Amino acid sequence: MIELSNYVILSAIIFFIGVLGVVTRRSIIVILLSIELMLNAVNINFVAFSHYLQSITGQVFVFFTLTVAAAEVAVGLALIVAIYRNRKTVNVEELDIMKW
Amino acid sequence: MMQVLFYYMAAVTVVSSVLTVTLKQPVYNVLALLTMFFHVAGLYVLLNAEFLAVVQIIVYAGAILVLYLFVLMLLNLRSDARHMHRQWPFAVLILGSVAAMLVGAFAGGGFGGEIGQYSTAYIDSLGGDTQAIGLTLYTDYLLPFEVASLVLLVAMVGAIVLTKKGLVDDQVED
Amino acid sequence: MTTDFIPSNYLPVLIFFMIAAAFGFVTIIMGKLVRPQNPYREKALPYECGAPPISDARQPFPMRYYIIAMLFVLFDIEAVFMYPWAVVFNDIGIYGLVEMGLFILVLVVGYVYAWGKGALEWD
Repeated sequence: MIELSNYVILSAIIFFIGVLGVVTRRSIIVILLSIELMLNAVNINFVAFSHYLQSITGQVFVFFTLTVAAAEVAVGLALIVAIYRNRKTVNVEELDIMKW
Repeated sequence: MMQVLFYYMAAVTVVSSVLTVTLKQPVYNVLALLTMFFHVAGLYVLLNAEFLAVVQIIVYAGAILVLYLFVLMLLNLRSDARHMHRQWPFAVLILGSVAAMLVGAFAGGGFGGEIGQYSTAYIDSLGGDTQAIGLTLYTDYLLPFEVASLVLLVAMVGAIVLTKKGLVDDQVED
Repeated sequence: MTTDFIPSNYLPVLIFFMIAAAFGFVTIIMGKLVRPQNPYREKALPYECGAPPISDARQPFPMRYYIIAMLFVLFDIEAVFMYPWAVVFNDIGIYGLVEMGLFILVLVVGYVYAWGKGALEWD
C-alpha cells in the first residue's frame, strides 16, 4: 500500500534537487531545466493529493501548471538566445552587469 | 506489485533528477530530464491520472524538451569545466526550510483534508479521468482557462519580439 | 483515505516497455559477446565512400527553427486543452462551444501576429 506521504516526500526530494540546481549551476539552460524539475515536483504533489483526497481539482491545476511551464520555456529560451547573441555566453556569473 | 512499481518509478525519478542537475554536457542534462518525465508519467498512471500521464509525455517530452534541444543546437554550447558555483549555505537554508515544513506536516498528523466525490469508481462512471477533468475545467475553472489562453498569447508575442532580430538576419552570428 | 487503485489496463503497456528495454539490452550484450573484436588502425579509418570529418557535426541552426518549434509548443498546449473539451462536449453544450471559441480567438490573435511578423515565412 503506497501512502500519500510517500508521494509528498518524493516530491519534496525532487523539488529540493531542482532548487539545488538553480543555486549551484552556472549555465542558464541547466537553471531552466531545474525549474522544470521543480514544476514537476509540484505536479506530482497535485496529482497525488487529487487521487488520495478524491478531488479532480488537483489534476485541473496540473493543466495550468503545464500551460505556465510551456509559456516559461518559450519566453525563457528566447531570452537565452537574446542574451547569447549579445554576450556570447550563457554563464550566469558573467552576466553580472545591468547595463554596458 | 504496486509498491515495486512505485519504488522503481520514484528511484529512477530521483536519480535522473540528480543527473539532470549534475551532468556537465547540456545535451545529457536534457536527456536525463527526459527519463525523469517518462517516469513521472508512470507515477501519474499509478495515481489514476492517465490523461495527465499522456499529456506529460506529449507536452513535456514531445514539445518542451525538443525546444530545449533546439536551443542547445542553436547556441552550439561547449561544456564548461567549471560548471558549478558554490552557494551551499543558500542551498542548505532551503533544504532546512523544506525539511522543517515536511516535519511540521507529519507532526501535525499527516496529510488529510476533505474527501471529495471523485473516487476511482465515480471517475470510471464518468468514462475516465479525461471526462472528469473536462467537466470540472470547463465549468468551475472557466476564468483560469480563458486566462491560460492569454498566457499563451503573451508567451507567443514575447518570444517573437525577443527573437525578431533572428528573423531578419537569419543566423545566430558567432 | 488511501484508495487501493490498480491500473490493470496498463499491464500490456508495462510489458511492452519491459520487452522494449530488454530487447535493447539483450541485443547490445549479445552483440558484444558474439562479435570478434580485432581493431587495428586501417580498419578504423573511413574508407570507400567515407571521408574524414572536416568540422564539428553540431552546426548552429538558423533562428527560424526556434520560432517554429516555439509556436509548435504553444499550439500543442492549445490542442491538449481541446481533448477534455471534446469528450465532454455533449454535457456542456453551447456554453462550452462559446468558451472554446473565445479561447481559440485569443490564440488566433497570436497566430495572426506571428504571421504578420513573418515568423512563418520559410525563405
